[in-house]
Amino acid sequence: MIRIAAVGDVHVDKDVLGRFRPALEELPEHADALLVAGDLTRHGTVEEARCFAREFGGLAVPVVAVLGNHDHQSDQQSRIIDLLTTSGITVLEGEATVLELHGHRLGVAGVKGFGGGFAGACASNFGEREMKDFVETTEVVARRLEDALKSVQVDALVALTHYSPVPDTLLGEPLEIYPFLGCYQLGRAIDSVPAALALHGHAHHGSERGRTPGGVPVRNVAHPVIKQAYNVYQLLSEEADLQLVAT
Amino acid sequence: MGKGDEMSTQLDEYLEAEIQSMLTDGRIAELGITVHRREHALVLGGEVESPHRRDEICRQITERFPDVELVCDIGITRAQAPSDVEEIS
Repeated sequence: MIRIAAVGDVHVDKDVLGRFRPALEELPEHADALLVAGDLTRHGTVEEARCFAREFGGLAVPVVAVLGNHDHQSDQQSRIIDLLTTSGITVLEGEATVLELHGHRLGVAGVKGFGGGFAGACASNFGEREMKDFVETTEVVARRLEDALKSVQVDALVALTHYSPVPDTLLGEPLEIYPFLGCYQLGRAIDSVPAALALHGHAHHGSERGRTPGGVPVRNVAHPVIKQAYNVYQLLSEEADLQLVAT
Repeated sequence: MGKGDEMSTQLDEYLEAEIQSMLTDGRIAELGITVHRREHALVLGGEVESPHRRDEICRQITERFPDVELVCDIGITRAQAPSDVEEIS
């Protein structure tokens, strides 16, 4: 059994310092790792990233994050990644990491993701250069996620993105902005492997639960959606039960 | 509907769009705030991460549009530890 905590869209700046910390100090009692689904900062400044590291770093469990669109606002994303990495936080962008937890290997593959829309209402790679650049970015990012997911051999595999891989978890958002909240290409990448769970943020007015067309559970962990410091998900429960029976 | 009324309606829509733009651009940078027109007032909804941010949003909008009656229903997202675990299967 593995328990992972997850939250996204915490948008940390000086005014948020101390708000999450009491719950985060308790986190090792509830979960074995913390995954953060992007928008760590408000305007993507290095100073805000320092605040995020102070609030979410130095925990007794591994912390793995992807960046969100807010973390790109000031074009400081490389410096933000360096700062967080130095603080002991793993930041994924088209990569995967493996955590050894209670004798199990948990793989986490992450990208920020991008918009583009979903079946029947998505942008197409046609026309103006700007539109083709938009869709090509979507496709490149999704391919990076697929490559990252396929790069590890693990007992349980989690996809971590900021943008949504499915429309299910956008329910509550205006339909008109779905193409800016996620894309089907991320869902297709997740369905290319036997993933156990997909986590995303970005959709503040969305809903919590959905599934990819291939059946992978999807959870929107944006802070305004889950309305608590983090959610906790339990994976590999059946294996734990089988071990108990065998014993 | 007279010409003046039509102008007024259009102005309201543009005003709403301009406030939405203010909320999401670099000055405020909040994607989760809703704006609804209710009679003569604009109602702001959604949640932010701190009371400071809520107050700053209302201050900036009031400063830029001093004649607009603003109703602020923006909440602060709770940040307590969870009390349950979801089993994924």
